Amino acid sequence: MSPTSSRDASQPRLDGEARATAPDRVSAQMPARTGEPAIAYPVKQPFTWWTRRRGYLLYMLREFTAVGIAAWMLLFLVQLARIRQGAAGYQPLGGPLFVAISVVCLALALWHSYTFLSLAGLFMRIPLGDRTVPARLIARAMFGALAVVTVAIAGMLIWGGA
Amino acid sequence: MTHETITLSVTRFDPGQDSRPRLQGYEVPYRDDWVVLDALNWIKSHLDGSVNYRWSCRMGICGSCGMNVNGQPKLGCSAFLRDYLPGPVVVEPMANFPIVRDLVVDISSFLDKLRWVKPWIIRDETAVGPGEHRQTPAQIDQYRQFSMCINCMLCYSACPVIPIEPEFVGPAAIALARRYQLDSRDRAGQERLGTLTGSDAIWDCSFVGECSAVCPKGVDPAKAIQQTKFESTLGMMMPWGGR
Repeated sequence: MSPTSSRDASQPRLDGEARATAPDRVSAQMPARTGEPAIAYPVKQPFTWWTRRRGYLLYMLREFTAVGIAAWMLLFLVQLARIRQGAAGYQPLGGPLFVAISVVCLALALWHSYTFLSLAGLFMRIPLGDRTVPARLIARAMFGALAVVTVAIAGMLIWGGA
Repeated sequence: MTHETITLSVTRFDPGQDSRPRLQGYEVPYRDDWVVLDALNWIKSHLDGSVNYRWSCRMGICGSCGMNVNGQPKLGCSAFLRDYLPGPVVVEPMANFPIVRDLVVDISSFLDKLRWVKPWIIRDETAVGPGEHRQTPAQIDQYRQFSMCINCMLCYSACPVIPIEPEFVGPAAIALARRYQLDSRDRAGQERLGTLTGSDAIWDCSFVGECSAVCPKGVDPAKAIQQTKFESTLGMMMPWGGR
């Protein structure tokens, strides 16, 4: 059931509501409601809503970073497909354009990671006795974990590849 | 530079006459300690008694005077004119709600959503026993900030998901549900979690975060929603999640 469908008169009413709507001396003196409800002007959200607040704009930028990450992953899949041609036919993507695209995508990925991990302490609630672990500590732990994983993968790629 | 007057552009809409809302300008005296609500009251008393708006306490407690001031969700009683010099100050109804008249919006959808999450303590007992249900300061700290919500609905005005998903329960209702979920006296945590993880609830939120940015009481509804998402995901994935 959706929240606003509870206005259906056929739905069972909650105990508190039944008490609140019981006739009292004040409401008994008020004129009964008749006819159609008052006409209300429906307001629509303009297409440019995201330009109205700085927070909206930052949100759109944060969401847009996913496009860059997805684009680079597609290029990565292209390279994986080329491996099927064997060592002789494998030609990894390269050149200034690919490097430039990769640098931009890396910046977008880093920004996405930063915004996400900064908020880790907000959405993770870890009980500690009768308190909770401080949000700042959770965020720092997340950034620490990101650094460790990054170094580990970089090590595997650099030294493992060599 | 001293200012004698300041102009307010106020939304006017009479459903019986107007096909769409329009802005009407009013020149009001400027006072350094006046807020937008003071200016509106001056307009109603001296210039135009037909202007409609909600207000009550004038001190940021009742949550009645939510409106958009220069496009930003604000309480009229907390928006000082001195912050909008030299003007004009554009005063519009809260966004994302149908306009009933002038600055008055239809909040019935919010009231339904609020009731839907059962924002009250639910216990197992059928009768109230003797004594008190005491809490430690640490237990109160778990939910204290969520309990500060005054239902002003500014978070709904700032949420860009509401116009796209009108059935979305929304920030304040979820923050209040979270408030009772974290209350050591409440026994309906799983029931509320089921409500919040169903349709039209937490998963409609794309975490824009402006609900928390505009809250005049420092409540963080975005935190309530993301924490509930995280806990419900853990509940599905982990063996101790009870699924």
